[in-house]
This record gives sequence, structure tokens and C-alpha cells, in this order.
Amino acid sequence: MAGQEREVVFKKVTVSKLLMLFFKDDKTKVSNDTVSLMAEMLRIFVIEATRRAVKQAENEDCLGVDLEHVEKILPQLLLDF
Amino acid sequence: MDEKEAYTQRLKAAVHYTVSKLCQSTAADCEKEMSKQAVAAIAETTFRQCEIFAKDLEAFARHAKRHTVTVDDVKLLARRSTALSSHIQQKSEELAINNQELKEKRKKNAAKRKSKEMEGDEADEARETEN
Repeated sequence: MAGQEREVVFKKVTVSKLLMLFFKDDKTKVSNDTVSLMAEMLRIFVIEATRRAVKQAENEDCLGVDLEHVEKILPQLLLDF
Repeated sequence: MDEKEAYTQRLKAAVHYTVSKLCQSTAADCEKEMSKQAVAAIAETTFRQCEIFAKDLEAFARHAKRHTVTVDDVKLLARRSTALSSHIQQKSEELAINNQELKEKRKKNAAKRKSKEMEGDEADEARETEN
């Protein structure tokens, strides 16, 4: 199962375009390794958010994970990153 | 301005695509199902968080009087959580090792190509003198 999880990653092009979009200065560039590392950061962020939402749903004894569960874990998630 | 908005929307869609795949595989591991709204909320959060990340990275690079964001800036970005910080450190070391291997391979290949070219040149010269 862990092997399967590994396969899903953000595309490098997507990450680099995202970063470029948000930079205020056009002169700012990104090195190749930085893009790979940022893709990993975002992957961890998404997995962490999902895991916490799943746990919240489990605590409430719900079958599926819904918007309210994501809403409840959001403040702490944002504080942790 | 409209064009920029369309570009942003397309990037958002790209993020949403990967986020939904990640969410499904993670939720499947825990035997739960994610609703579409929950996935969309996580995708939107990721997009906004990326903006914060990018602005922080830019500020870090600027503080170090650089125009290029480097791996060290990302390490600084992950400082708030110890586990994340050590994971990122490990990842960056892996990347560095991979890069070194690639470089060595490229060097070897370049050397091989050079020696082959030399042989080719010598053969050409030999042919020319024969003629």
C-alpha cells in the first residue's frame, strides 16, 4: 500500500508554475531541486489534511469524510504548517 | 487580467487533480470515503497554502540576497514541525545524492562519446590518406 502512495506526486511543471505565479518579483527563480522538494512538501500537506479529516470523521462515527470534518481540522492544520 | 485569471484557474484545476488522487489513495488506506466537497476544500486550501509558501520562500531568498530560491529556503520553510523538518532534510539529501550520480553518469557518457568521436576522426583521417 505504501508503494502505491509513493506514486502520486505533484508534477514538477505544475509546482514550478504555481511558485512562479505567486512570486511578486519576476526576477525570482527556482532551482530544480527546490521544485522537487516543494512537490514533496505539498504532498505531505495534502496527506496530513486527509488523515486528520479521516480521524475527525472516525471520532464522530461517520462513514464518509465530509466538508464539516475538513472545516474542523483546518485551523490546527494551518497552524502546524 | 482575464487571461491571468484563466491561467490561475487552470493551475487550480491541476492542483485539484493531484489532490483528489492523493485524497482517494490516503482515504482508501483508512477505509473511508471522501466526499467531493471535502476534496475540493482540501484542494483550495492547498492552493492558498502554496501562495503562503511561495511568498515565504521569496522572502527567505531575498533575505539571503539571492534571486534564486534554493533547497535551504525550503528547509527553513519546514522549520515549524520537527518531523516535517527532518523528513525534508532527508529528502534533500536523497536528491543531492541522486544528482551526484546523474552528474557522474553524464561525465562518463561524455567521456565515452569523446573517445568514440576521436576514433571516428582517426578513421576518417585514415580513409582520407588512403584516397
